[in-house]
Amino acid sequence: MADLIKLTGLQRYYEVGGETVKALDGVDLIINHNEYISIMGPSGSGKSTMMNMIGCLDSPTDGTYEFEGEKVHEMDDNQLASIRNRKIGFVFQTFNLLPKLTALRNVELPLIYANIPKDERLELAEIAMDKVSLTDRMHHKPNELSGGQRQRVAIARALVTNPSIILADEPTGNLDSKSGVEIMDVFDELHNEGNTIILVTHEAYIAKHAHRTIHILDGRIEKDAQNKTTKQRKQPSKKKATL
Amino acid sequence: MFAYVESLRMALSAIWDNKLRAALTTLGIIIGILAVTLMGTLISGLDRSFEKSMSFLGRDVLYISKHEWFGQEEWWEIRNRPDLKVDYIEKLKNQSKYVIAAAPVAMRSVNITRKDEMAMGINLAGTTPEFAQTAFMNIESGRFYTEGEDRSGARVIAIGYDVANALFENENPIGKKVKIGNYVFRVVGVTEKQGKFLGLFSMDNRAIIPLGTYQRLFARRGWMRLDVKVDDEHIDEAKDEIIAIMRRLRGLRPEEKNDFAVNQQDAFRQQYQTMKIAIGGTGLFITVLSLVVGGIGIMNIMFVSVKERTKEIGVRKAVGATQGSIMRQFLLEALFICLFGGAVGIVLALGGSFLIDKFVFPSTMPVSLALISLILSSVVGVVAGLAPSYKAARLDPIEALRYE
Repeated sequence: MADLIKLTGLQRYYEVGGETVKALDGVDLIINHNEYISIMGPSGSGKSTMMNMIGCLDSPTDGTYEFEGEKVHEMDDNQLASIRNRKIGFVFQTFNLLPKLTALRNVELPLIYANIPKDERLELAEIAMDKVSLTDRMHHKPNELSGGQRQRVAIARALVTNPSIILADEPTGNLDSKSGVEIMDVFDELHNEGNTIILVTHEAYIAKHAHRTIHILDGRIEKDAQNKTTKQRKQPSKKKATL
Repeated sequence: MFAYVESLRMALSAIWDNKLRAALTTLGIIIGILAVTLMGTLISGLDRSFEKSMSFLGRDVLYISKHEWFGQEEWWEIRNRPDLKVDYIEKLKNQSKYVIAAAPVAMRSVNITRKDEMAMGINLAGTTPEFAQTAFMNIESGRFYTEGEDRSGARVIAIGYDVANALFENENPIGKKVKIGNYVFRVVGVTEKQGKFLGLFSMDNRAIIPLGTYQRLFARRGWMRLDVKVDDEHIDEAKDEIIAIMRRLRGLRPEEKNDFAVNQQDAFRQQYQTMKIAIGGTGLFITVLSLVVGGIGIMNIMFVSVKERTKEIGVRKAVGATQGSIMRQFLLEALFICLFGGAVGIVLALGGSFLIDKFVFPSTMPVSLALISLILSSVVGVVAGLAPSYKAARLDPIEALRYE
């Protein structure tokens, strides 16, 4: 089986005011199925670019990116949209729910673009809502939910297509510490169920939830190590739970 | 497939979320559609009443007169032309192959009284019995006067429908006496209701007396028209022939211009066509103008909508929306704003047409125009939506997600 994610010599340069900014400057990285990874780094280190790149929102200037054997660096916009839809679930710091839609409708959204019939969509969306224990809030709009609940809706949305990875960008950044802990518990649980999770964060205590932490500095991987200090975790019994 | 249905649903809910804005934006489209459909209604009504009026003037009747109906001649030229004479009628009938009937018509405005009732401003025509053939009128009750009455100068009168109504409310007018000035006439017939000619003057507001009587009592000389009914298969030849006969009667040399005019229905038709083109052109101009303005309004509001929803577009793209589906969503939104405007325009136009039909003249809104209007507004919607939708579709998801 191919590696889940394989980055080779990945570069992403920007032209800003006549100067070339090397946001990513030669990144080699392999991520396997069911890893629980955190990406850390100070602002401007390139970790956002890294996240956008892994999330197939951006294309590399140079280097290769293979996602389950598919050559992402050669894809056009529509192929990128398709791989985002099928393989990647995003969780954002600011939740990014559509305010006019109910929680359930928000969760349903990726399935619309996956061309799934309505009845099936609603069923899958309800299952995802159940996974984040929000079945009693399905018909509320985002502004009727607390921050923690909103983020759980966002996680349900990320989960609903049964993606290969869940990419979370500062998922607790806009939450109070209690909600933050709850959200991290959700991620831990998802990982235990067999999901691959990548957290982008600058908070060390968040990063510690992951099993592997990648430090980025000036567009390069500075340090990539297993977290030895993490407490004993039970290994997932099966490879991946099916939704 | 589901994607299309969903795009439609999303587009509609986006419009619903901004009801007022969409309604205001669509005003230009509404006005445009209203203009084009009302114009159509107006023209249909005009056509109808024009054709009805034209039935008062036979296609096969030539009207010989001092002046052209829509002529460019100077008034003094016309004033210097000699009057037409009654005896031309006999000569025309004798010399022409095509003349079927001919009647001289003299006219003036009079008041007709009966006891205390008075009908004012009645067009009194003095003519011969052949007028019944040239004038496309039917006698509703009674009869038209006879050749003998005409020759003897009998004081008999045929009155129009409105005149009869004004003077004899609940009575049969036949055989009753009416007065014009101090002269007493006996009513022999009432003409059928005909309506107004081009909406200008009523054909029912007239009275007809024998020409001999007319000349004896009112005027021997003065304005006169000769109405000549000709063979309807040779109208053009008849016209040429009549002009030739008239020139001979007048003793005109070849180089001299006609000092009379032979008019026919066509003159009205040409005039009417010109007017119709003017109305149609104006309507079309207003329509195109308001549709363009409306389209720009839609484009503007769509740009605003795209800007406002930048973040939403980013989210949708992040979860897998393709450029095509984003484009489709916004195009449908623009299209439906326009279709909504078109529908409102048509509903308003239906109301307007109803009012025109009821209070101005009989008319109907052409269904084809309503359909064309809807198609027009869809085209405007799609064209106006193209640039904003393309912009939305091309948004960089990273930039869009970062947008606050």
